[in-house]
Amino acid sequence: MVKAIPYLLRGLLAAPASFLAWFQERWDKMDLFDESHVQEARSNPWYSIGGMWYWVWMLVIISGVVLMIYYVPVTDQAYHSIERIQFNWRWGPVPIGAVVRGLHKYGADAFIILATMRVYRMWFTGEYKQGNELSFIIALLLLIIGMYSGLTGYLLIWNQRALWATKVMATFPTYLDQNPAWLPGGTLINLSNQGKTTAQILLGGTSIGPATVTRFYAFHFMLSFLPMVFFELRVYRKGFKRMNISHWAKLAVFGIILAMAIMVPAALGSPANPEVTPNPILSDWYFLAMYHFLKLQDPYLATVLTVAIPFLVLLAMFLDRRPERAWGQRQIFNWIGIAGLIYFVLFSFLILNGIADIHRDAPIWYYSMGLFMLIGYGQDWAYVMKRDGKPWYGTFHLFFVAFILVAMSANTLYHYFGDIRELNVLAREALPRVLASLQQATPAATPDQAYDWMEKNRPALNLWFTHHPGPNKPPGLELWRLHVAAFLAIIAAGTWVGLARWGRDQEAKAALAAAKAKPKLKTGA
Amino acid sequence: MKENQRRLFLKTVTSIPILGGALLAVNVILRYFKPTAVGGVKGLVAPPDEAGSSIQIVAELSELQNPWDFKEFIYIRKSVEYSSRKIQGAKIPGFVVRLPDQFADPKDPKSKYLVVQRICPHLGCTFNFVKSPEELAGGYNYRPPAPTHPYFACPCHLSVYDPTRKQDAGLVGLLPGKVVSGPAPRPPRTMSFDIKDGQIVITGTEGGGVG
Repeated sequence: MVKAIPYLLRGLLAAPASFLAWFQERWDKMDLFDESHVQEARSNPWYSIGGMWYWVWMLVIISGVVLMIYYVPVTDQAYHSIERIQFNWRWGPVPIGAVVRGLHKYGADAFIILATMRVYRMWFTGEYKQGNELSFIIALLLLIIGMYSGLTGYLLIWNQRALWATKVMATFPTYLDQNPAWLPGGTLINLSNQGKTTAQILLGGTSIGPATVTRFYAFHFMLSFLPMVFFELRVYRKGFKRMNISHWAKLAVFGIILAMAIMVPAALGSPANPEVTPNPILSDWYFLAMYHFLKLQDPYLATVLTVAIPFLVLLAMFLDRRPERAWGQRQIFNWIGIAGLIYFVLFSFLILNGIADIHRDAPIWYYSMGLFMLIGYGQDWAYVMKRDGKPWYGTFHLFFVAFILVAMSANTLYHYFGDIRELNVLAREALPRVLASLQQATPAATPDQAYDWMEKNRPALNLWFTHHPGPNKPPGLELWRLHVAAFLAIIAAGTWVGLARWGRDQEAKAALAAAKAKPKLKTGA
Repeated sequence: MKENQRRLFLKTVTSIPILGGALLAVNVILRYFKPTAVGGVKGLVAPPDEAGSSIQIVAELSELQNPWDFKEFIYIRKSVEYSSRKIQGAKIPGFVVRLPDQFADPKDPKSKYLVVQRICPHLGCTFNFVKSPEELAGGYNYRPPAPTHPYFACPCHLSVYDPTRKQDAGLVGLLPGKVVSGPAPRPPRTMSFDIKDGQIVITGTEGGGVG
């Protein structure tokens, strides 16, 4: 550890300069729409995703500009103007408006699908390695921009789905102002009202109204158009081929979207009514999983985690530091990708079927996340053992595994054996039976009394922290303190051991460099 | 080596003001996006007459004679805001519910009535007053325990509130409408009211949330 300190300080001093050098290298290598994969794209369709993506983007912009001519961005006319586009703008029997709208909508869906596929391709093939990190970051950023552009786009229709999706989207940043008091600096962040300001910036005021529509109209166009301008400038400067696909491929993509637009006319929904939330109310398909995610936990945690998802993906990317790119040689990162896909599909399915129970489901998916990581780690461990020819204990990452196990136990124990009233799954299942037996004695017994009875008669081992210290609650160990202590100890020990190893490596490198440099000096003298 | 370190040091020193300048520019751009709202609700409770809201009658007592009778209403909370009229009226949907006598304080005639804002404190959707336990179980994933009664339930993320029970909501104190299912962090926001000449009159609303 002590050996690492001078190297750390030197690194810190050099950080801005070395970051600039790092960035310059990645900037030169940057690949936005697979323009540097022209050869691969001829034989491997996965590499023509970039070209198709850009082609779809152009289609969406062109159809969008055409729609702008008839669209009226005012709350009380927006929906009717879309109706006019959809039904009245015809050429003989051909509903031109409906087709253009379909091209715009299905083009946007194709955009999201292609952007997601490209991010996944880059993830599963480890394409972000060897100095391509920036390409991956921009691919992810463009996906997020695409999703945000979709969200701002469907409010413009001013239908029920759009209104409530916008309301949810604009309300959830306000939880960023509700950091718990125990968080260092939490109160200071709360006082600065960052969350409320974010909501106001999104909405153009304190509520969804005319200013919101204007603002979303501007964001919708700006976010879609500006990245395209930047890409075109890059094409102009570097002189590469804009799209790596053939004209036939372009025609096929256009044909598929056109066929969709004709066969399944884009839906209108019912006009927005701020006084009634329909049940069920769903967002657009690519937000369904995140919408379900909000059902599964406390809103503060949900907000922080939703904002954290892209950053966690980037963190995972920067942690994948080995040069291996083959499928079987980086299983942890494969499992992160697979788990993401599983959650996306599963959550979308669950929300469509209205299955959500905050008490029952949340621990299952927390637990499964840890399980995916452990499976990935197990496979990776086996691979590294074989690669380095070391015994099993020689390549075991104790701190990583311990961290995951502690996280899993914390979540599960909390939900199954925690506070009787709020989160305890077992107590919720026992409630009807306890209530029935209490009602035999006194018919007016309430669920509150049943919970009280359970609290009184539970084993005197109150391991868990609770928000509601009742008169019947025995003082306990509060095991959550032990969990926090275990987390901190694992992080501290892992950092210590890691830094010590890094310091030794740096020293060895410096010694090697010195040994190489010495003979040169001698011959020179 | 020495030459390298000097160059490194100079690069580092010059990059700091450049980064600072860039941050300042970003700050200016972000500030442009912040709306020039001057009003809105500050603090926990919105005064009823900010920007001249009149006191609004929302229900007659004759409409709420039997237990679990309820009425939906819209209360208009006006606040000063940047627009051509300088005033924006936020429509706040609400519920008046007549509670059964067993849940009311016999000395206090007001405690028979529960008046809440219909805006879900989770993420702002408009919640419903659901009377049938089958609908609660099928539509909101909550099967109420045996002596069943109506609940407030939100379609967006399936939060269910029990109007007969109270929950501690931090700064605003103990409020009716305990969260019994779903992710909502607290009971519905309240409205203060008076009973005048057999009518329920709203006198103020709790602030917060996105209208």
